[in-house]
Amino acid sequence: MKDRRLLGYLFVFAATLLVPAVVHDTFLLRVFTEAVMWIGLAVTFDVLAGYTGYLNFGHSAFFGIGAYTTAILMVRAGWHFAPAAVLGGAAAGIGALIAGFPTLRLRGAYFAIATWALARAIQQLVLIMDVTGGPDGMRLPAFLSPRFFYYVMLGLVGITFFAYWFLLERAPFGLKLKAVREDEQGAKALGLNPTKLKMQAFILSAVPTGIIGGVFAYWVTFIDPASTLGDLVSDQALVMVVFGGMGTLVGPVVGAILIFAFKTAFWAYLSDYEVLYIIILGAVIAGSVVFLPNGVLGVLPQRGRRNGPSPEEKGPGAVLPETEGGNSHG
Amino acid sequence: MELLPQALVDGIMLGAIYIIIAIGFSLVYGVMHVIDFAVGEWIMLGGFAGFYLNEWTHVEPMLLLPAVFAVFAVVGYLFQPLIHRVLSGHRGNPLLMGLVFTFGLSLMFRGLAQTFFGFYSHSVPSRFSNGSFFLQEGGFSMTVSSVRLAGLLYALLITGILHYLLKHTDFGLGVRALAQNRDAAGLMGVNNKRTSAYVYGIYVGISAMTGVLIGMILSLSAKMGPDYTIFAFFVVVLAGMGYLAGVPAAAFLLGIIQSFFLIYLDPGYTLLAVFAILYTILLVSPRGLFGKGV
Repeated sequence: MKDRRLLGYLFVFAATLLVPAVVHDTFLLRVFTEAVMWIGLAVTFDVLAGYTGYLNFGHSAFFGIGAYTTAILMVRAGWHFAPAAVLGGAAAGIGALIAGFPTLRLRGAYFAIATWALARAIQQLVLIMDVTGGPDGMRLPAFLSPRFFYYVMLGLVGITFFAYWFLLERAPFGLKLKAVREDEQGAKALGLNPTKLKMQAFILSAVPTGIIGGVFAYWVTFIDPASTLGDLVSDQALVMVVFGGMGTLVGPVVGAILIFAFKTAFWAYLSDYEVLYIIILGAVIAGSVVFLPNGVLGVLPQRGRRNGPSPEEKGPGAVLPETEGGNSHG
Repeated sequence: MELLPQALVDGIMLGAIYIIIAIGFSLVYGVMHVIDFAVGEWIMLGGFAGFYLNEWTHVEPMLLLPAVFAVFAVVGYLFQPLIHRVLSGHRGNPLLMGLVFTFGLSLMFRGLAQTFFGFYSHSVPSRFSNGSFFLQEGGFSMTVSSVRLAGLLYALLITGILHYLLKHTDFGLGVRALAQNRDAAGLMGVNNKRTSAYVYGIYVGISAMTGVLIGMILSLSAKMGPDYTIFAFFVVVLAGMGYLAGVPAAAFLLGIIQSFFLIYLDPGYTLLAVFAILYTILLVSPRGLFGKGV
């Protein structure tokens, strides 16, 4: 059953490989590339949020670190794109190591706000530094090949997705993460090291995010603090994951496609109402929490499981971690 | 160096305001176990409520504070069941969901505020804004603006009232019991749902009032919310999560940092300094400056 699922994933991936053969319109290919990018950002967000229960409200920080590292290496040091992007991913990973070290030992609420504050602090830092061009941003050498970027993005996101699938759904690592998510004390008693596992998940989430940021920088050829480090990056990743279904690999992909389609349509017709888009994002986040606790995937009829979702499908932390007093209510 | 006493005094008077924000934030965390991402947005909305009320009635904003409190306390009271629903019910990790929910709310509030209030900064005109006292002692001199002094007095008053409420009333006993152990408090007859709604109402009302004050002393803009959310979190983490007695020291520290950056350095660096201190504290002593948080 599960391996049939892998076949399905591979089939979808193979189908996306053929997109440039069918789509010749440059603009449309751009839209597809961006859709793939958002799938990547949503999936990387969910590795941490869904599998460990730690929300990274500063996802944009790692995307931006990757983008800026790549841009600085290419523009100021004259590096080639590929090693620069890889180093961008490494920089994001180091950022995760530094940010996660004090916060991942603590409860999820600390982590959520600390990463959020980190993203703002980094944005501030980029604005005042010289090497990043400050508020003016950076212009990268242009390489105008929509096909090249589509395949790079697709390859990157595809590798990330299948690596995650193997690590989280097939290897013991995924089970360990879920054990920590469900009951940290219990996991500790079984000899697991929760902080180390959470840190590994955080780095696993940050490195691909950084590389995606690097590819994004080279692709759009111009980056500034707002486009790479702005709140919108984190907000959109969050809404895609929450709307699609947290704690699964397919949920964020579906969420990313739906929200991105909406975004594209919205910007095409209502680009003057940027603020309205933010309001809608907020409403979708809050509404999903209230009405779709398992995302849109949760409301689809599930084959062979008519008696409600299994604990695994219930989303992150079906068993409460770290609440004193449990979830009693008067 | 001659500006040093000025920076300290300004900082303390600013810090007094952060005390009240942090107490409300801390109370909500203690009772409802939710970190409210929307705290900054309540402050911002309250500030604009004061601004428009003042523009409409021309009443001194200091006197409008109770009205703002009343309105927002009702709003918070009516809002709380929604958050309660998210936190309970049969969904996955309710703490996570509470965070996501208030984050979504804060995005919505900010967007709506930008739509209706525009992108510009405002300040609430107060009769106190112009007055100031000039003190001279030896080589040092400083100006104490009366609006900041009024803010300090207001902060002391609210802190006093909250102290009385928490320590000397049955309601406060219930709140403290809930924070300590929700199940046992429920068994002793504390109504979790109603008490939480009152606490949330009080917290939203106080935050909104403080917003008006911030509008009088500093300025208001539709985008200011996130900064104050980070400030509230900063104070609460420095004090130690749930340790109310540590709040004043942490709040004064934040106020002093802010006024130092305003006077000596670029205010654009404030957030970086705040983050650096936050990071160090989380690294060295995650239970706060005094090691007494939970």
